[in-house]
Amino acid sequence: MPPSDLRQMAVVTKYELLKYLRGKRLLIIIALIAIISVLGLVVPLITGSGYDPDPTIFTSGILSEVGILVVLCATFFGADTIVSEFEQKTGLLLFPNAVKRHVLVLGKFIASAMISVGAVALYYAIAVIAVVVIDGSVAANTSLSFLYALAYLFGILAIAYFFSAIFRSSVYSVVLTFFTFFLILPIIDRVGSSVAHFKPWFSITFASGIILDIFQQPYPVDVVRTVERTFRNTTRTLTVAQYNPSVAQGLAVIFVYFIIGLILALYITKRREM
Amino acid sequence: MTDAIVTENLRKQFGQFEALKDLNLTIEPGVCVGYLGPNGAGKTTTIKILTSLLRPTGGKAFLNGIDVVRNPKEALASVGAVVETPQLYPQLTPLEILSYFGQLRGLDSDVIRERSVTVLDEVKMSDSAHKRTGEFSTGMKQRVAIAQALLHDPSILIFDEPTIGLDPRGMIEVRELIMQLKERDFTIFMSSHLLNEVQEVCDKVAIVDKGTLLVYDTVANLSSVGEGGVSLTAVEPITSEQCNSVQALPSVRSVKRVATSEILINVEGGLAEQSDLLDEVKRIGIRVAFYRPARSAIEDVYLRLVPEEES
Repeated sequence: MPPSDLRQMAVVTKYELLKYLRGKRLLIIIALIAIISVLGLVVPLITGSGYDPDPTIFTSGILSEVGILVVLCATFFGADTIVSEFEQKTGLLLFPNAVKRHVLVLGKFIASAMISVGAVALYYAIAVIAVVVIDGSVAANTSLSFLYALAYLFGILAIAYFFSAIFRSSVYSVVLTFFTFFLILPIIDRVGSSVAHFKPWFSITFASGIILDIFQQPYPVDVVRTVERTFRNTTRTLTVAQYNPSVAQGLAVIFVYFIIGLILALYITKRREM
Repeated sequence: MTDAIVTENLRKQFGQFEALKDLNLTIEPGVCVGYLGPNGAGKTTTIKILTSLLRPTGGKAFLNGIDVVRNPKEALASVGAVVETPQLYPQLTPLEILSYFGQLRGLDSDVIRERSVTVLDEVKMSDSAHKRTGEFSTGMKQRVAIAQALLHDPSILIFDEPTIGLDPRGMIEVRELIMQLKERDFTIFMSSHLLNEVQEVCDKVAIVDKGTLLVYDTVANLSSVGEGGVSLTAVEPITSEQCNSVQALPSVRSVKRVATSEILINVEGGLAEQSDLLDEVKRIGIRVAFYRPARSAIEDVYLRLVPEEES
C-alpha cells in the first residue's frame, strides 16, 4: 500500500530540493545575492557618501533589493514547477503514481519555499554580518523584517504556482510572474499613490512595503497634504500623498494572496488533464 | 476473482470530438492484451483515463475492482504504467528516479535498492544507473520508464506504445521483456500500432475505432477468422497464362501480381484450401520457392474491421 499523504509529501519535497540543488538556477540566485550585497557595500565607498552610522538606516539600505530577490526566487523556483510537468511530459511518469495531485503540489511548494527561504536568509545574513562588522550592532526589527520578507515570499510564490497551474507554456508563467510583481503591480502602486491619489492597499507589492518600513521609527503613516504651486502667474492646488501599508494590513493582504493563490493552484492542478 | 481492468460505458469528449463512446472492456487477471486501433481511435485516451491522467466525461473505470476516478491513489497502487514517451528529470540518475518513485509507492529502502538493480538489469540500463538522465536518448528514457513501472512488482502493467522511439534492437528487447513478464502472472494491457508485435506478444486483442470497441477476443480465435491470403514466390517469372490459370481455380477469389515472380492469392476457406491450392499451383507448372500467409491473421481482422481511410 502507498504511504500516507504526509509521507509522500515529504518524499516529493526531498526530490524537488535535490533537483534545485543540482540546477543552475540556485547558482544564479546565489550569484545575484552576492552582486546585490557587494554593490550595497561598495557603492557608498565609491561615491564617498560612506556608511550610515545608524545601523537601522544602514541595514534597510543594504536590504533595499529584498523585493526583487523575492520576485526572482518565486520566478526561478515556482513559476514553472507545475507547468513543466505537463509541458516537458515528466508528468506522464509522475502522475500515474498512487499519489494525490494536491500532495504533489504541496510537496513541490514546500521545496520551492525552502530553497527560496534559504536564498532570502542568505541575503539577510550577509546584511546582518556587514552591519555588525561596520556599525557594531544589529538593527532593531531586523528579525521582523526577515519574517515579513518570508511572508511576502510565500504570497508571491503561491501566485507563481497559480500561474504555473493555468498556463500551457512555462515561458508564459515565468514571464507573467516576473512582470506582474516586478513591473505591473509596482506601476499600479506608483500611479495609484502619486497620480490618482488612492491607496493601493490591495496590491501585494504595496503590502510588501512593511519589510523595509519596519526599520523606520516611528512606523510611517499615510500622509496626504495639499500644496499650492504657482506657475506662469497661475496658482494651483496640488495633492501630495504618501501611502504606507500598516503591518496588520500588509500581512493580511499578503495572507489573502497566499491562500487564494495556493487554493487555486491546488484546484486547477487537480482538475488539469494531460 | 476480481477482473484486473474494467471499463463501463466509458466516455470522453474533447470539445465536439467524442474520443470514447461507451467503451465496455473487461480484462481478466493474468492476460496480456494488445489494444489496437488507428490514430485517434481512443487508445491513448483509454490508457490515460486508466492512469488518472484524464478524467472521463462519463462511465467508470476500475483497476483491480477499485474506481480509478474516485480513488486514484488506491486504484493505482498496484499498477505500473508507461504512457506515451515520458521524459525523465534531467537532474536525477535512473537510480534516484527509481528511489523517488519507490518511496512514493511505500517501498522500504532495502527493497528499493534491490529492486532497482533487478529492474535496471531487466531493461539493460545497469551501465547507466548512476548517470544523470539529461543526456539520455529516447530509447534509454523509455527503458528507465519501463523500469519504474516494474519497480514495485505491480499486478497490472499498462503500456502505451512501449516500443515507440526504440531502435530495432531495443524493440526486440522490449518485446522479449514483455513476453518474460507475461510468464510472471502480470496483467498486461498494451496499445500498439504494430500488429505483428501484438500477435507475437499478446494472448488477447482488443480493437477500437472511433471510440468504440470493435472486437475483443483471443489471438487464436481471431486467427481462425482471417481471410487466408497467401503470397507465392516462384523460382522463375510467373507468366500471364499461369496467372490466369491460378485465377480460374475454384477456391481463388483474386490474384494480384506483386513482382515478376511473386503473386498474392486471395483464397476462400482455411488452411486445408490453402494446402490444396499449393498442389494446384504446382500442377499449373509454377515452381514454388516460397508459399506463406500474405498478412498476419490479426492484420486480416484489423483491415476488415477498420475502414481504409482511417487505418
